[in-house]
Amino acid sequence: MNAELGEFGAQSALRAFGPNAEAALLLTVVMSVAGIVILAIVMGLVWLAVRRTGRPRSWWIWAGGIVWPLATILVLFVFSTITLRAIARTDDTAFVIEVTGHQYWWDVVYDPDGRAIRDANEIWVPVGEPVTFRLVTDDVIHSFWVPSLAGKMDMIPGRTNAFTMVASEPGRYRGQCAEFCGLSHPQMAFEVVAVPPDRFAAFLDELQGEARDAARPELLAGKQVFLEAGCAACHQIRGVAEGAMVGPDLTRVGGRAALGAGMWRMNKGNLAGWIADVGDMKPGAQMPNYNHLSGPDLRALAAYLESLT
Amino acid sequence: MSATAEHQTYTGALKGEPNKSFEEIWAQPRGIRSLTSVSHRVVGKRFIVTGFIFFLIAGLLALGVRTQLIVPGNTFLDLQTYNQFFTMHGTLMMFLFAIPILEGFGVYFLPLMLGARDLIFPRLGAFGYFCYLFGGIIVLSSFLFDAAPESGWFMYTPLTTKEYTPGLSADFWLIGITFAEIASVTAAVELIAAILCARAPGMSLTKMPIFGWYILITAFMIAIGFPPLIIGSVLLESQRLLGLPFFDAAFGGDPLLWQHLFWIFGHPEVYIIFLPAAGFVSTMLPTFVGKPIFGYGFLVAAIVTMGFISFGLWAHHMYATGISPVSLSLFSAASTMVAIPTGIQIFCFIATLAQGRPRFTTPMLFVFGFLFIFVLGGLTGVMLASVPFNFQVHDTYFVVAHLHYVLIGGMVFPLFGAFYYWVPHFTGRMMSETLGKWVFWLMFIGFNTTFFLMHVTGLRGMPRRVATYPEDIGWDRLNMLSSIGSYILAAGIALFVIDFFRHLRSGEPAGRNPWGAGTMEWFYPTVAPGYNFRAIPPVRSREPLWDQPELNEDPAAVGGVLRAYPDHRRETVGCDPLSGEPLHIARLPHPTWVPLFTAFAIAVMFGSLLVSAYWVTAGAFVAMMAGFTAWAWEPSDSGVTRDAGLGYRLPVDKADRRSHTYIAVIGTLLILGALYFSLVFGVLYLWNTFPDFAARIARPDPLMAGGAIAAAVLMAVGAMAAKWLSMRDRFLTAALTGVVTAALGAATAGLLYLAIADIDRNATALGATAWAIVAYVGVLMFIAIWWALFNALRKLTGRTRPGQHVADFNFSPFAKGVALFAATTGALLLAAQGALP
Repeated sequence: MNAELGEFGAQSALRAFGPNAEAALLLTVVMSVAGIVILAIVMGLVWLAVRRTGRPRSWWIWAGGIVWPLATILVLFVFSTITLRAIARTDDTAFVIEVTGHQYWWDVVYDPDGRAIRDANEIWVPVGEPVTFRLVTDDVIHSFWVPSLAGKMDMIPGRTNAFTMVASEPGRYRGQCAEFCGLSHPQMAFEVVAVPPDRFAAFLDELQGEARDAARPELLAGKQVFLEAGCAACHQIRGVAEGAMVGPDLTRVGGRAALGAGMWRMNKGNLAGWIADVGDMKPGAQMPNYNHLSGPDLRALAAYLESLT
Repeated sequence: MSATAEHQTYTGALKGEPNKSFEEIWAQPRGIRSLTSVSHRVVGKRFIVTGFIFFLIAGLLALGVRTQLIVPGNTFLDLQTYNQFFTMHGTLMMFLFAIPILEGFGVYFLPLMLGARDLIFPRLGAFGYFCYLFGGIIVLSSFLFDAAPESGWFMYTPLTTKEYTPGLSADFWLIGITFAEIASVTAAVELIAAILCARAPGMSLTKMPIFGWYILITAFMIAIGFPPLIIGSVLLESQRLLGLPFFDAAFGGDPLLWQHLFWIFGHPEVYIIFLPAAGFVSTMLPTFVGKPIFGYGFLVAAIVTMGFISFGLWAHHMYATGISPVSLSLFSAASTMVAIPTGIQIFCFIATLAQGRPRFTTPMLFVFGFLFIFVLGGLTGVMLASVPFNFQVHDTYFVVAHLHYVLIGGMVFPLFGAFYYWVPHFTGRMMSETLGKWVFWLMFIGFNTTFFLMHVTGLRGMPRRVATYPEDIGWDRLNMLSSIGSYILAAGIALFVIDFFRHLRSGEPAGRNPWGAGTMEWFYPTVAPGYNFRAIPPVRSREPLWDQPELNEDPAAVGGVLRAYPDHRRETVGCDPLSGEPLHIARLPHPTWVPLFTAFAIAVMFGSLLVSAYWVTAGAFVAMMAGFTAWAWEPSDSGVTRDAGLGYRLPVDKADRRSHTYIAVIGTLLILGALYFSLVFGVLYLWNTFPDFAARIARPDPLMAGGAIAAAVLMAVGAMAAKWLSMRDRFLTAALTGVVTAALGAATAGLLYLAIADIDRNATALGATAWAIVAYVGVLMFIAIWWALFNALRKLTGRTRPGQHVADFNFSPFAKGVALFAATTGALLLAAQGALP
């Protein structure tokens, strides 16, 4: 893990950890340098034109206004198209992860055409292996973007978009919805966790199973609250209450590093606050505030959810 | 015919004011009656002042945005207010500031530069202004109802549909902006006709000041570029109001259709904003260098090229939507091509600078600021055209930086230069050069601090349109510095406002031609009289004030055409569009309440639509039609010839293909055609994208569609016959033919309706779009029928006298155009009938 990245993983196109982002970064650097040089030359010419007086010739315009930009954009176009061909390939053999955008969270299904393992808001990928993201939306347009790994792609109603990418180093990479999607658009983030392939396989196996048992009385009480307060109408905890697909899958909610779609650190206090006041923490979210729960119930529920790792 | 006998039969004499002197005829109405003013000088100033007020409001909203972002997790604004602020900031800046204020400069200065006494359709100008004002008020009033638009200035579906944005906020946007856009397209027609058809004797297109070219091409771009958004807005509003599923994926609609329509408008819009401002630069540079602009021909070619290219690259706003790599490459190539016409312009400016030693006045500083900022913004624009790079920075602060570099650099800096340059024209006084330099440096430093850093913020992964951001992911310091920069920028603008009010009282009087410019707007000492030219002098040069010494003598005594005013009317000279040779005398309207009344009726119509008071809507519609009819019902001026001086004997309001009225009809057809093809684009796009849904809709009735084509052809023939008869003064048969033409128009619309009557407009987006096309053709037919009956009625009631043919002469191309759209629709329905499974 990249410890220096702080509480959240890297979210910067300038810190590339995969071939897609690296190719874009190379383009960025080359174009920025070229841009600065061109700007300097043009400003130099302006300075010369101010200082000196002479008779302009029309070849100046031909050379500076037509040939120079044409040559520059031809080089850029070739460079950019080669890069595009390299990164735009969708790999049919790659492992598929389907991500569905919701206002304002991410539904994740690993291997949707096979094992179809459901999770939310945190996406694990194997390091060094291509992964194809299949992107759809359940409501409005969202855009799936993890700057340190690859460029963004939109999720559009009625369409399925896909792209393939590789994470080249283990680590946590933060992503965020890049298309304005409504009230809480700024609070629609997620993290990609890149782990070695064997760890990834183990993670999938673990994830596919049922939720961890409530081992202590407090946790049992929390589980009871979950069932009685109506949480199961929207949320699924495999092995406890199955079938509800409206909200994020909570089977391993406590195992995620962040709460509220990549926004807050996952712990009991934040969980309790979230359940009671979701409307304040994330205005416009579908989930109602559960501030009528008693203190002990709330704490028990939070503790139970945190234990689901 | 003797003069007195002619006076008894000449209807144009009815409108003259025989007791008034030339100055009195052109005098501006005062007090409450100033609302009746139609003068381009008044209307232009109103556009500029109103636009600037919207600029200040939008600027305050931007300061709110920057203040919210100054620290991570800030709670200065809640999410909803923040979303409203950035939405309204973009909306006001793009629709209610940039375009209108630039059109205001065009409206104000073009007649002065081109040698006309007024814009060629003064009432249309006044009408356009009131539409803009009322539309702007509707949009802005949403704040009062706590229903400010909050879905972004781009209004992407489905976020803006009823399901995800209940309430009125999106309706405020759609209705108010569409209303303001009517102002923009009417101004476009007016500017096209004014530039082509009302110039000083001898001012051929090649002798026209370069500013005229900039505005001419811009006006064409508005005429073609705004209709797609108007159509998109109407479709979206009817989805919201009536539930027609144009953009609903579940019914074969497509949210991307909105994006296409929006950006087919939205990208040209950027050049529509840039070009007039580049026109300011091309006007100011020669003045301060003391030499004509270098590369006039290059510039004209570059402007025209830019106009064309700008319509071919809209999809670079949509790279991340999943477009195929081949299309991506094509749009990428088209996008980079803009570098060439831009490069030509920049190098023409540099070459112009090289011709002499520029004077470092305040306007000139802003020109230098423009060169630096705009070139930088242009370069990041070329970067953004690169697809892989764009995947990363699209919808991030990098784009925010880029767009402000091109828009503030390319438009606001030249605009402030233009304020300093032309302010004596409005107030007769100069603004302070000392304070002006402070204004410039505050704005320049503040701007670059704010926006340069945003390139880095964006590359570091910060998306746009986020009200808050977490701490410690690398955005904190950059945002704080950007916010501080925005306050410095705002201080510069505040200082400008202060200096403006200061100079009103204590600014130095400007005198005649204070900057030593070569263009005709400085012909009179400031403030020039409202008629611009006592007599309109012949022009032989692009810089007449430099090359024609006689123009620097007493302006009231300089020789020219139309010194006499035999009918005591406002008039200017209409010219051949290419050569500038005088063609006819164009009579201009005197002050009138009609534009305000009509615009107000439309405002009530739209406003009542917002609150679903449909009976009021119907009443306002009737009032609007009454207003337009009263507008056109006045006695005709045509049918006589007058001595115009300088050896010219010219007809008044000639029925001619080169006259401003005919050119305006063609310009209107261009707009109507762009609206039509936006709808056809929608049909073909949906059909091509979701062929499965096409299979679900009922087949159109081929018999009715074929009948509609036949009726449309006959209607066009009828209009031509009415013109032919009218030109031979056979008024009774012409009137009867007109009635038949109207009936054929009604038949065409009715048959088209019957052809699609079986298609369920609520079941599929494609079906709804077919209905939209037929409804649109129905609206056009309604106008054609109204016009045909209007012409017939005027003949039957004796309003039209022998020799007066303009209305019939101009109706013919309009009817032919509308018939073409109707027949095309019929043909499309026939083709669909054959192609449907």
